[in-house]
Amino acid sequence: MKTVVALLLLASLSYGQGAAIVPYDKLPDWSGTWSMVGGTVFDRATQTGTGGALTPGVREHPPYNAQWEAIYQKNLDLRDKSRFPDVITNCGVPAGFPRMFNLPDPYEFAVRPEEVWILAENGPNVMRIYTDGRKHLDDQWETYTGDSVGHWEGDTLVFTTIGLKGSRDGDSILDRSGLVLSDKAHATSRMRKTSPTTIEVQMTIEDSKALTKPWVVTKQFQKMPAGTRLYDYGCAENNRNPVNTSTGETLTLGPDGKPLK
Amino acid sequence: MMKLMNKFAIAVLVVAALAWTIPAALAHHSGSEFDTTKTIEITGTVKEFQFKNPHTWLQVMVPNSKGGPVEWSLEWGSPNALGRQGYRPTTFPIGSKITVRINPMKTGGPAGAFVGAKFEDGKTVGTWN
Repeated sequence: MKTVVALLLLASLSYGQGAAIVPYDKLPDWSGTWSMVGGTVFDRATQTGTGGALTPGVREHPPYNAQWEAIYQKNLDLRDKSRFPDVITNCGVPAGFPRMFNLPDPYEFAVRPEEVWILAENGPNVMRIYTDGRKHLDDQWETYTGDSVGHWEGDTLVFTTIGLKGSRDGDSILDRSGLVLSDKAHATSRMRKTSPTTIEVQMTIEDSKALTKPWVVTKQFQKMPAGTRLYDYGCAENNRNPVNTSTGETLTLGPDGKPLK
Repeated sequence: MMKLMNKFAIAVLVVAALAWTIPAALAHHSGSEFDTTKTIEITGTVKEFQFKNPHTWLQVMVPNSKGGPVEWSLEWGSPNALGRQGYRPTTFPIGSKITVRINPMKTGGPAGAFVGAKFEDGKTVGTWN
């Protein structure tokens, strides 16, 4: 018994704080497979074509400052010319946060006392949210999905995400309308089951470099039929739509591997 | 113009009712290379159905008046999504005669986004009506 107490104390000290870990039988049931509601666009008001501006929904235009609004407008212009490159089209890089919650194809949400995994078939993409009481590193470096730690407030998972590279390296966007954030972006998110068939995540995104105020975005996920299977997403298996990184144009390759004209 | 279309066994239709949800079906890329305001029909023989990620491709040999058939590349959804809807690698048997409706490439190249198909026996796949 003394050994167990000592180990628990050691674990607590290692993680830097002593937040209680919620036991498995007290956690909400997020089992099953889920699919995002709506199109893969954060800012529907500026999307054109099917599923775009004409689709009823919440306008989620980020509160950019003048400098980043100009970047956004430039990206929108490139989009309209079919020249805004989507890096995931070339396969190999994660969608990152917050695009992690803006993907087509099924999701699974694996809830454990020490950690929650967001598993997206598309990509595939994985996001880890530590709920074992650990803190963010003081010297966290920037990655696509960043570092997330959280805790449970009743049936709501509350987590913060830091260490995001944003558009700094030109290989991470939020959606194909041209939405980007900077490497100063960070977020506080609240995720919960709002009905037996709906899970919702509300992300409050702050970015001292790009935004004038916090940007609140809500994404919902609807439960898929019981027994739905997920599969490999081998993006590089037969990618016949690479992006020409010089022009931003999405190519269509013929059976011989050469671009069709 | 009509003569040219006949040569390639193509009929241009107006889209409205057949508008296809590109974002859902071509999630891996934007689909901006295809003209979603047009739907055309091509008739030919199935060469191959590439049931692979990130998108399936139906290869169809379409006769033309210049002697040899032209190979068309028709892009559809991911095998994962289609598999969940009941489609399989055997959905398009090699050698089958088939008429396919597609959103063509904006450039006019021999490719398009798959909308639906009809076999000789009347069986249909995808969006046909």
